[in-house]
Formats: sequence, C-alpha cells, structure tokens
Amino acid sequence: MGVAMHYVGVYAAGALKDFGLTVVSTVLSMILGVLAAVGRLYGPRLIRLLISWYVELIRGLPAILQLFILYFGLNQVGITFSPLAAALIWLVLYGVGYAVEIFRSGIMAVAQGQREAAAALGLSSGTTMRKIIFPQALVAMLPPLTSFVVLQLKNTTMLYLIGYADIMYEARLGVDATNQAGPLYVMAAIAYLIMSFIIGRIGMRMERRAAAYR
Amino acid sequence: MHTLWSAWVQYLPDYWQGVRVTLELTGASLLVAIVLGFLLALARLSTLRVLDFMATAYVEIVRAIPVLIILFICYYSLAQAGLKLSGPVAAVVGLGGFYATLYGEIFRGAIMGVDRGQKEAAAALGMPEGLVMRKIVLPQAFFAILPPATNQLSNLIKDTSLVFTIAVADLMFQANAASANNFLPLDMLLLAGVIYFLFYLILSKLLARWELNVQRRRG
Amino acid sequence: MSNDVVVSAQGLTKRFGSQLVFEDVSLDVHKSEVVAIIGPSGAGKSTFIRCINHLHPFDGGTLELLGHTLHGGLKSPSRAVLRDIRTRVGMVFQTFNLFPHLTVMENIILAPLDVKKVPREKAVALARELLDLVGLEHKKDMYPKRLSGGEQQRVALCRALAMEPEVMLFDEPTSMLDPELVGEVLSAIQRLAKQGMTMILVTHEMTFAKEVADTVVIMADHRVAEMGPARQVLESPQTERAQQFLRRVLEPVETMEELSAAAGQGGED
Repeated sequence: MGVAMHYVGVYAAGALKDFGLTVVSTVLSMILGVLAAVGRLYGPRLIRLLISWYVELIRGLPAILQLFILYFGLNQVGITFSPLAAALIWLVLYGVGYAVEIFRSGIMAVAQGQREAAAALGLSSGTTMRKIIFPQALVAMLPPLTSFVVLQLKNTTMLYLIGYADIMYEARLGVDATNQAGPLYVMAAIAYLIMSFIIGRIGMRMERRAAAYR
Repeated sequence: MHTLWSAWVQYLPDYWQGVRVTLELTGASLLVAIVLGFLLALARLSTLRVLDFMATAYVEIVRAIPVLIILFICYYSLAQAGLKLSGPVAAVVGLGGFYATLYGEIFRGAIMGVDRGQKEAAAALGMPEGLVMRKIVLPQAFFAILPPATNQLSNLIKDTSLVFTIAVADLMFQANAASANNFLPLDMLLLAGVIYFLFYLILSKLLARWELNVQRRRG
Repeated sequence: MSNDVVVSAQGLTKRFGSQLVFEDVSLDVHKSEVVAIIGPSGAGKSTFIRCINHLHPFDGGTLELLGHTLHGGLKSPSRAVLRDIRTRVGMVFQTFNLFPHLTVMENIILAPLDVKKVPREKAVALARELLDLVGLEHKKDMYPKRLSGGEQQRVALCRALAMEPEVMLFDEPTSMLDPELVGEVLSAIQRLAKQGMTMILVTHEMTFAKEVADTVVIMADHRVAEMGPARQVLESPQTERAQQFLRRVLEPVETMEELSAAAGQGGED
C-alpha cells in the first residue's frame, strides 16, 4: 500500500488529462452530433443515408479497433498523428456516432402534437426546433447523455495503448517498476469510480433542473 | 487491391482461430452474465434489505469501472493477491461480472414493467409467489428483455476485443500479431473490422427481425 | 357468525400511509346474497373488495370469511390461509387482466392445474363448459389481444369460475367496456347470481344493481353512507349523503347552472 501512495500525485495528473479529454471531446461531439441528427432527420436523402451508415459503422466496430486503425493503420498510408491528436480525433469521431442517435431519438420523442401546435401558431420550423422541440427533447436526452459522457470517460482507459500518458499509462509503468498490480489497478478503478460519480451527479442535477416544468 | 487481398488470404487461418476464441469467450461470458444478472435482479427486487443493498452496491460500483481495468484486476491484481487465473478465465470472470450488472438491470426493469394487474390477477387465483414469477411475470418480461439483451450482446462481442491486453489470443490479438508481422496494420485491422461488423450486422438486423416476428405473432 | 354468513367485515379500516382509504366498514354477506357497492370514485370501494381476498392488507377491524378470521395490522395471514382464501374467492377485474402470453384456454386452466392440481382433462372439460355458457367456446385457442373487451371480460369470468369459488368479487367489471359490450357481460353475471353464487360487486350500473343485487351499499367519503335492501336504498335513501350521490347519478344535469354547480362540488375524485 505504501508504494501506491507514491502514485497518488501521478494518478491525479493522469486523471486530470483523462477528464479534460472527456470534456473537450464531449463538447465537440455534441455540437457535431446535433448537426448530424438534424441532417439525419430532415436532410436530403443522400445526407441521411451517409449519416446513418456512419452511425452503423461507429456502433458496429469495437472502439479499440477504431483507435488502432486511426493511429497505427493510417500510418501505413503515411498519415501520422501525435498520441494526443489521435486520442481527441478518435473520441470525437466515436462520440458523434453515439450522440447522433441520442439527439435523434430525443427529437423524435417529442409529441407530434407539439409540432402541429407550433405550426398552427405560424412558427417557422427553425423557431419550432429551437423553442419548442429542443427544450422538451433535452429532458428525454439527459439520462442517455450522462451515460454517454461516462462511456467516453471509460474509453480513455484505452489510450495508454497508443502511448498517451494518462492514469492507465502511469498504472502500467508503476506495475512494471514495483510489481504491485493489486493496489495500483484498484486505485485506477477508484479514480474512474470517482470521476464517473462526479459526472453522474452533474447529470442528475441537470435532469432535475430541466424537468422542473413537468 | 491485390496486395490487400493476398495479405488477407495469408492470415485467414490465424483469424479463424481468433474468431473461435472471440466467440467462445462471448458465449461463456454471456452465460455468466445472464445467470449472475438474474440473481442480482432477484436480490434487488427482494424484500430482504441486506440482499437488496449488497446487489445494489455491486451493480453501482462494478458498472462504473471501465472494462479494461476490470480485466486487469481479474488478471494481474488477483494474481498478486494469490489467485492466479489464466487469461481466458480472467476474461470470462471480468466480462461476465461486468455484463451481469447490465443484464441484471435489464431483467429488473422488465420484471417491474409487467403490469401490476397481472400479478394481482394471479394472486387472486391463489397462485403462490414463485409460480406467479415463473408462469406469469417472466414469460411476459421475456419480450421486454430481448431487444436490450441483444443490444448488450453486441456490446459484449465488441468488448471481448480488449482481452488481447491480458494475453488472450482473440480476433483483435491476431490482427495485431499479423500487423506486427507484415507491417500492413491498416490492411490487417480492416479485416478484423469486417469480421466484427458482420457479427454486429447479424445481431442487430437478423435478431431484430426475429424479435419483431415473434412479437407480431403474439399480436 | 351465523351459519349462512360467508363474509363478515367488522369495522374494517385501511390507509395508504397517512392517506385514509376507508374506515369502519362493517358488512355481513350471506350465502347466495348479491351485494352491490356503489358510490363516487375515490370512496375506497375497489380497495375494500381487494381487502376481502387480501390483495391489500387492512389496518384495523376484523374480517371473517370461509372459516378464517383475519385481524387488521402488521401480521399477515399465513401462506396456507391466504392460498385457501384465494382459491375459494374468485375475482374479476376492471381491466380484465387476462394473461396476454396465454391462450384463452390456457388462461382458464392455469390455476386449476397448478394451484388446485386438478387433472388436465377435468380442467379442460370444465373450461369448455364455462366458455360454452358465455358463448365463447370457439375462441378457446385465441390470444386475449384478439378478443373484444366484452369477450375478454367473459373469459376473465370463466377463469375465476374455473376455480369453483364459493364467493365472487367483481371490481367494476363493465366500466372499461364500450357501451354496446356492457350487456353481454352483465347478463353473464346475472345468470351467475340466479344460480345462487355469493357475490360482492363494485359497479356504476345503477339499473343493474337494482335488478340483480339483494343489498346495496353506498360508500362515500371513505365510509358506508347507507346500506340496505337494494330497492329501498336506491329509491328512498335515508341519509343526506346517499341522497346527494344518487341525485347526481340518476338525474341528468339539465341547465348550465346545475352543470357548473356540479363541477364545483365534484372534488372528491
């Protein structure tokens, strides 16, 4: 256990990196996800088709395989990334695939009557989306969005495999140096538990606020 | 195109080995997840506070830990603590133990989703609790279970791709080995991708259609 | 308890948490008697008949039925007692509650086979006979969802009768049905009454209550407002609360003023 205490500082730095990557990639993939969801629902036929194929591809392949194709695979054709760049691109591309579906089903969950009522009042489709549909869809989307952020956080554990120096990377180095696989991996688990817990709490608070009108 | 094809053909036997390992791991982990998940669901629905508490704690903690760390704990940490599991066993324990939390929640939700009137009607006929569960609640919960359970199965297959990190020679392991051998990582990873995607298509499209048919027949 | 009293409730009281559902309900039901319980919604009628077969436990009072004595409070009756009561008391629900994954026949024979351990041929024969009585023999292999509401409710009646109960409970058996389907269910219940079945039914059908019931109980504001021979209670109620309820149900509202007055008072739901 004494060995493990040496690693608390290193872990904290690694955790900060994982958490930061999660936040940045979540924001980016949500912005792209909203656009893609609207395109998937209301865009021209070709766009709708392309987006739905993209979603299937992202959901159909193991995350680790996607990361390896991006980092190691593209190397074969001369495209190289730094570990950080690869990590960010991977998390965003992967995240968009999931965010699209969350936004799409959230938008579809809003009752048809709401659209009709807005149209009957003469609201434009843009205003209807912004002022009527989206605020209501948000309530339905928050629980899956929270799990989505946790999923992205968990995905960061794989980044040590491309040499990104996060918690898992430090844990592996530590185990190599000290042979203390017990405490070091359990500590990594605890670090992720704490981060998931924080995200879950934030999600719950937002849900409560968003659902206030119900 | 020609080189891609010949590289694929050359490694096909290795990949076939990997696919078998992946499917065996998936099957064994699924079995563990379903059995343990069902017990967890029953414990969480139980009127015994202790059981409910223990099952809830297990579910909430385990499902918040990334699968990769769970695998490392099962393989490396347990070994340090004196419980040395082989790679495949550690993989089944880890994946099964993790997916049990997800299957447990699916079962629990489906059981709770059965209309209260159904349980009342069965009780009014004098049926004891066990019989009500077996003959009335579970058969109806089954159709609510199928879609999310299929969905998690396809996630489980994808997550087996992490076991190469604990020295299990699954499909992903073979793809990495082949890449290291012929320095064509893109080609070799893409072949693995095609295979994983086939599994995904089979599960998401074929099973979804079958479910729809079953449900329609019940009308 | 005299010999032919089958169900006897004394001062029954029920709460959900701090919410009072009903209190001090006393009622004797004799063999072959038909008791109709009427009253505004929210009066606790449905919960009361669920206490009789102990689908809901009650908090105070005593309930004697079929040779068992149950007391209100925390201690629930033993499994054996519960099973005995429920196999001998049949119940028909407002929402039918047929088992959707079982065919009509399977719905009916399930409990006779698994609870009473009746031999299969015997259970099937009785089920056919019961279905024939309600005119549904030809639908025995269908799933409930393919049946109309009225047909479902008649199957539910067969399912309860297949246990050969001594007492039947009906919880608003026709209130979920389209108007044109009400008659077929009511006539099946009426036939059962004529055969001498002891019945307690919660209903909104006043004419039916008057014609079929021996005794009418009016429950309002969580207690018994009035109880007595059917015609007497329905035609010349004695208490203020009973008169008020019957006036509102039996006489259509005629002017807008009455309508708004009625709307103003109708807060008990």
